[in-house]
Amino acid sequence: MSMDFSEFRRRLGAEPRSKDPDLLRARDSAPEFAEAAAEAEALESRLERALRLPEPDGLVEGLCALPGSTVRPRRRRWLPMALAAGLLLAVGVAGIDRLLHPRWDSVEAYVIDHYYHDGVKMLAQEPAAQDPARIQAMFARFEVEAAPELQRIVGVIKICVTPDGQGVHMVLNTESGPVTVIYMPGTRVEDRERFTFDDQRAVLVQMELGSAAIINAEPQDPAAWQAFVQDTIRPQAGNS
Amino acid sequence: MSSEPGRQANFRALAETYGADLYRYAMWICGDDALAKDLVQETYLRAWKALDKLKDTGAAKSWLITILRREYARTFERKVPKFADVETVVVPEETELEPDDRTEIGLLRRNIMNLSKKYREPLLMQVVMGFSCEEIASELGISKSAVMTQLFRAREQLKSQLQRDGVTGNVHGLF
Repeated sequence: MSMDFSEFRRRLGAEPRSKDPDLLRARDSAPEFAEAAAEAEALESRLERALRLPEPDGLVEGLCALPGSTVRPRRRRWLPMALAAGLLLAVGVAGIDRLLHPRWDSVEAYVIDHYYHDGVKMLAQEPAAQDPARIQAMFARFEVEAAPELQRIVGVIKICVTPDGQGVHMVLNTESGPVTVIYMPGTRVEDRERFTFDDQRAVLVQMELGSAAIINAEPQDPAAWQAFVQDTIRPQAGNS
Repeated sequence: MSSEPGRQANFRALAETYGADLYRYAMWICGDDALAKDLVQETYLRAWKALDKLKDTGAAKSWLITILRREYARTFERKVPKFADVETVVVPEETELEPDDRTEIGLLRRNIMNLSKKYREPLLMQVVMGFSCEEIASELGISKSAVMTQLFRAREQLKSQLQRDGVTGNVHGLF
């Protein structure tokens, strides 16, 4: 019994590349069927093209190196050991220690880890004025908003992993140079705790709905931005 | 049990064969590059620990997807926002496309991320991971017929949305 057009479309929509003989026979049975098959193939090609995302550099090498580097469970990090040799030159002795030991036992450990994971790349990007609506949309996910004076100096921004889920990672364009701010929703810190790593200075800031890490290169003092960050990332109306 | 070098070799083969596709799959379910990488890394860490349980290498793809989906559900599902990084991804070859084609890809990506999970997941398993309808049914714990219906509806929704977005047969021979 031949396949009716409705069934043909349903099967084509489910498996456009099917080589099922019944389907192929139906396709060749009438122009209407052949046209539907051609349309399905066109959509499939476009779908494949849209879904094709580039493989991150070092992905497979990093995965292959996992058994030797992280037999111990948990705490996420993404510094492929295969690529680590070159990186280690840059991060120094403290970096070696971080690569070989479990992470995120503290917010401080997270900040250092994340800085090498993403912060360096963020700083390397060309800063550009960001769409205020985009900035606001990112913060709105975490029920906070960015004040206009903060929006004006955001040069690079993205959502990133934080100790309690996700947060906002920014590079601010300031007169004294780039300042990295990582907003960490829901994360509690010891307010004004300072620490240094390599040539970076950092301070943690407790805020109403989360906390932030402010990081910049020596000799700048990140604490100079503490009040600014606390004042310009604030709960959305009704969430304080 | 395999020797340690044997385990390492098996693991490497899994990473080389499926790592990139798992990353793409993860990107499309969570929409965030950093989270996708974390998901894949965690998946492979778990796979390494449980590698001896994988008796049939032919089942490796399904096994890895199962681990990844569980990890996603366990850790991220409630926290992950709808589409983020995938919207802005530009594959190198896309820079050579005509503006209309680039626009169409952008619309299609947005629409894929807007599909409900029920439709998006089987579609990703099929197109990104190359699963058959039977494999998808097994992974999702539903019938093959239900999978076929979901795949059909997913494509119908994408087609309708593209038409609503103004991507017409006049330009692309699509509809």
